[in-house]
Amino acid sequence: MPGLNASLYLGLSGLQAQQSALSVVGQNIANVNTPGYTRQRADLSSNLSLNEGQLYFGTGVTLTSVQGIRDRFLDLQIYRETAKESGASDRFAGLNAIATSLADSGSSGIGAQIQAFFQGFQDLSAQPQSAALRTNLVNKAQGMVTALKTRYQLLDDQRNSADQAVGSLVTQVNTLTDQIANLNQRIMTETTPGANNDARDQRKALTDKLSALVGISVFEGAKGEYQITLDSGTGVLVNGTSAFQLRTSPGGALDGKSSVLLDVGVPPLNVTSDIKEGQLGARLDLRDNLLPGLQRQLDQLAAGIVQGVNQLHRTGFAADGITNSASAAPHPPLAFNNYFFVGDPTNPSNPGLPVGVDFTGNYKGMVSSLAIDPNIVLDSSLIAAAGAAGAKGDNTKALAMAALQTALGTVDLDGNGAGDSGTTYSNVVGNLISDVGNKVQRYETQTTAQQNLLTALQNQRDSISGVNLDEEASSMMTLQRGYQASARFISVINQLTDQLVNQFGR
Amino acid sequence: MSFRTASTTQQRQSLLDLQRTQERLAQNQTRLTTGSRITGPADDPTASAAILDFDNSIKVNTQFIKQADAALSYLTPAENNVAAVIEANMRLQELAIGGSTASIAELDAIRSNLLSMANAQSQGKYVFAGTATDTKPFVLANPNDPTSQITYQGNSGQIRLNLDGNAANPNQVVTNIPGDTVFFGAGGLGSSTDIFQAITDLKTAFNANDTAAVKVVSANLNLILSNLNKAQAELGGRQAGLENLKETYANFNATLENLQTAQAETDYPKVMTDVAADETMKSVTLSTMAKTNKSNLFDYLT
Repeated sequence: MPGLNASLYLGLSGLQAQQSALSVVGQNIANVNTPGYTRQRADLSSNLSLNEGQLYFGTGVTLTSVQGIRDRFLDLQIYRETAKESGASDRFAGLNAIATSLADSGSSGIGAQIQAFFQGFQDLSAQPQSAALRTNLVNKAQGMVTALKTRYQLLDDQRNSADQAVGSLVTQVNTLTDQIANLNQRIMTETTPGANNDARDQRKALTDKLSALVGISVFEGAKGEYQITLDSGTGVLVNGTSAFQLRTSPGGALDGKSSVLLDVGVPPLNVTSDIKEGQLGARLDLRDNLLPGLQRQLDQLAAGIVQGVNQLHRTGFAADGITNSASAAPHPPLAFNNYFFVGDPTNPSNPGLPVGVDFTGNYKGMVSSLAIDPNIVLDSSLIAAAGAAGAKGDNTKALAMAALQTALGTVDLDGNGAGDSGTTYSNVVGNLISDVGNKVQRYETQTTAQQNLLTALQNQRDSISGVNLDEEASSMMTLQRGYQASARFISVINQLTDQLVNQFGR
Repeated sequence: MSFRTASTTQQRQSLLDLQRTQERLAQNQTRLTTGSRITGPADDPTASAAILDFDNSIKVNTQFIKQADAALSYLTPAENNVAAVIEANMRLQELAIGGSTASIAELDAIRSNLLSMANAQSQGKYVFAGTATDTKPFVLANPNDPTSQITYQGNSGQIRLNLDGNAANPNQVVTNIPGDTVFFGAGGLGSSTDIFQAITDLKTAFNANDTAAVKVVSANLNLILSNLNKAQAELGGRQAGLENLKETYANFNATLENLQTAQAETDYPKVMTDVAADETMKSVTLSTMAKTNKSNLFDYLT
């Protein structure tokens, strides 16, 4: 039979265990709103009993471990989906910002401006000698040039801002991977596996943040350490206790934009095209693929207009019925090739387009160098509306240039140097608009779908790891009752001792 | 079975739903205030491109209506002048039958009038000069002698305007009629179909009192009249064609505008219903969110 003192210790172990368990409940309640917090459970177990003869007497209770309730596979899945969600929503935001202006179907849109330019030629064909209509045409052309250039510039600005974002995102990624590597260190050296709940929670919260920044694949090693690679599988960001730094290096990517290097050794690994998801992946995709694709369509459209108009213009005659490409007196120091837009008659692949712009480069740089020939701006009588020498009232060239508006096969979209069958300027603009619209719609749908998936996963994670206040309240009540009962038990043993020591034998 | 629901779960779900409802509301409000179903190309990429296409077609058609008007602005004065020449020709016929040397002054006046009609301008361009629209087409051999021979300085060029967007084989209208075919006729300068020559011949005949010669002139004037009538009919025919074309394009545009509106316009009853439903949804979500955290077990602990 255990003695009174043994019973006192038994009661004490109960008090201590209930109090410790209560502090775990307190920790849970305090962290009810902490992102990434995993609820903890106090594991109580009864102590080994003492045997006296054939009887076994218990010796109370101990708190053996404080366990975090987590599903680590769910965590890994959430990292993956978070990256996809932020990748889709950043692509959506980047494209949506330019969609409205690029796809403007109103009077200031590209479509309307091109239409107005060719309308200028139609008007001129009715009165080829009218100086007012010639000036009108130059103004309409200027309007179209501006419309194309501002859209192109808008895309350029968006690309530059994506480029800047890449730099700052890389810094954030480096900070996070450093911290994750430190936490890996603490987790690998914990006394019992799974004991360091808070380090794990912190690491999870940081990895959640990291996965929103950059697409990653995460594996958990034997000692609980995270091994993190880029989502394409190439490039290790964190390996156990060491983190590898990303950095940007000017040049090396499309149009002299900076490339992203991973410092795994010498030479560093170029991972610019290996980052697919997350904000970083989305910005790189916008910068190097999505936006340049739209810029290319603008270049092709502008090249189609310039080449069509310039080639016809070169064979025409100015308002005096005499001046043509052979006899034109340039306004020094500006050379005049009898082109409407600035162009180069000796351009080897596409005569009539500016120097250096041709189909081999998919007309890159066309919009940037798009301008009305300065001679025509100075003297609109140089516009070649007449098709025959000496006929001032002749309008055949003006008619031919106006007819380009609805002519088929005027734009080269496949980059083979010849206009594609069935293309007109207006349906190229239409395609551009529906292309932008479809992309925006696609990433919008994808964002919604990813959000739904992520919310479902987070709800599932919360259903396992989240704190439920009702549950904590009921644990609190149980533990409080346990503590009160243990205290009562000690007080009973105390009375027994009192009985024995002070009242016995009176 | 029971599914653990963490305290944050419900709040997260409600917040996501609330954000989506608000986004829909904002979008539908834009639809209501702009009257356009499409708030951005992503709402309906196909329709966005179609609307642009309709818009383009409407503008192109409007441009062709303008072209037809421009053609009319040359054809109408030309026809009016030809009609006036026909009037003058009839007076010449009357004079050939009943005239005498006393009519010579009137003949000179008619000749000068005809000369100014032949040099008529519309919007600064000579109507009867072919494509040499800035050259005075009919000039006196001796500028100081109004009775001297009149020659043609224009050419026989035609000025055409496009009336449709068929680039390879456009529907074109010729907006001018070369002056020599109107005033000199098939025979050309100084021939029996030259109206100026007829007046000179008539004067000579009156002066010589040669009735046979007067009869020849009278016969010539009949030839000239039929030539003028032909020119008038041609000019009138072209104008009638243009008026028809304008009406066709205007009707076509009305149809296109209807189609475009069908694609672009807000369906007010539907959007209003959606807005009402979303507003209800929003207030329900808000009140649920407020109530969710209102009570838990801690409220009942003493």
